[in-house]
Amino acid sequence: MLRTEINELLTQTGPGTKMGALFRRFWQPVLLAEELPADDCPPVRVKILSERLIAFRDSEGRYGLMDEFCAHRGVSLWFGRNEEGGLRCPYHGWKYDYTGQAIEVPSEPETSNFCANVKLKSYPLVKRGDVLWAYFGDPEAQPPLPEWEFVTVPEGQAFTSKRFQECNWLQALEGGIDSSHVTFLHSGSLDSDPLFKGSKGNAYNRADLKPFFEVVDYEGGLLIAARRSAEEGHYYWRVTPWVLPNFTMVPPRADHPMHGHFWVPIDDENCWAWSFDYHPTRQLDSEEVAAMKAGLGVHSANDENYRPLANKDNDYLMDRDAQRRGETYSGIKGIALQDSSLQESMGPIVDRTKERLVATDAGIIKARQKLRKAALALAENGVEPAGNRAQDQKVRSVAVVLPADQSFVDGIGEAMIAKPGVPQTTV
Amino acid sequence: MPKVVYVDDAGEERAVDASAGESVMSAAVRAGVPGIIGECGGCLSCGTCHVWVREEYLDQVGEVGDMEDDLLDLAVGDRRAGSRLSCQIEVTPQLDGLTVDVPGEQVV
Repeated sequence: MLRTEINELLTQTGPGTKMGALFRRFWQPVLLAEELPADDCPPVRVKILSERLIAFRDSEGRYGLMDEFCAHRGVSLWFGRNEEGGLRCPYHGWKYDYTGQAIEVPSEPETSNFCANVKLKSYPLVKRGDVLWAYFGDPEAQPPLPEWEFVTVPEGQAFTSKRFQECNWLQALEGGIDSSHVTFLHSGSLDSDPLFKGSKGNAYNRADLKPFFEVVDYEGGLLIAARRSAEEGHYYWRVTPWVLPNFTMVPPRADHPMHGHFWVPIDDENCWAWSFDYHPTRQLDSEEVAAMKAGLGVHSANDENYRPLANKDNDYLMDRDAQRRGETYSGIKGIALQDSSLQESMGPIVDRTKERLVATDAGIIKARQKLRKAALALAENGVEPAGNRAQDQKVRSVAVVLPADQSFVDGIGEAMIAKPGVPQTTV
Repeated sequence: MPKVVYVDDAGEERAVDASAGESVMSAAVRAGVPGIIGECGGCLSCGTCHVWVREEYLDQVGEVGDMEDDLLDLAVGDRRAGSRLSCQIEVTPQLDGLTVDVPGEQVV
């Protein structure tokens, strides 16, 4: 259980909140690069951390991210004309450059200096990998650009998608650090999903219903290790890194691409579940990419607004027969929707005063405490959070079988450090 | 047998004969002391065996552990200097007479 005031602290991320201030210390994924595919393309609405913004790509390829509403009388700039180096409000022709600076107010006299004094709130927006990243905090404290391996591997080795998820970011994140549910919820998919099947770990995963959790501090967050029985005298370890505030990786299976997530608050009742796949040492093959685009693995089949086609309005296309046959454990198809259907079912912000945690929730307890401490330290003492240094972000998940008498920390050595050209450690 | 004294929020005292080696939580649950639930059985995941150890015993009950510290921050209603999860205090002969206050409610 979690006290009410801590649940509120951790789940509220709008302007002026403590957790919101923490999020505003990190580069966050905001758009897929494909959403602004060309110079002068249509602008895109962005809602993030409860702020409503507009993103656009100007005639010179510069990315802008600024207040959605014109400074004049509050018209949405989504209707704007993206032309000749700026976004122009269609109401009275006010024009803004990519920094949010007004550069033309055509109704004013030639001699007027008015537009020099008008600037919309704006944030830096940069492309890294297939993702556009933004930073919403104090410019003085702006961290270096993201160094996550999925955006730094050579082109062709990564695939990224996002899906709209109708619940608070924290209950989505908590799914990402809870290995225990895999044994149940995803059991039907482990051997059928082309991006998961063929791993020896899948059998260990399914057979041991009582994983033991060990959680250790690591650089910018935690390593959350779930131990299951393997062959006589050995354990199968799945090690999930979580980096402050909202990055998680799924332990790998066989030589499949590795995957992970960002859980980005849209507002307090919705989030973007970002899902990425990459292989550290090879190109993704065409079958893998086709499977990812089709919504397999950690991805989902979505509509043009990135909302999953199976969603709460159609009961996620529940298939009771498949549930009965055991083809899918919950009756919902696809790993991503198996997760989000249940997380959304908890309600927009789950009341954690009523939960009953068990031993396999150790990672969740530890992550909440670390988030709480980081948010309070920033708010009360201006302490910059961990998670922004290159070594915090050069991290990988690990799957490994170790002798029973070996600790997982000793056993994995440096396997959780992402090193260019070095393959992942996987079972 | 060492005795552990549990005091409820009305000041009512209840002395329980405990076995050396068991926890202050399990002695309470066995004796049906109201207010100590111990839902997770001592796995350090629930925080429903919170007590306030009386000051004179504080230096004898050991240090607050790492996970225990997290749960005291996150899951108990009124953390004070003497706050402990009673599943983490082992009864010993030396602790005979250990007195702890039990919160009126374990969950808030």
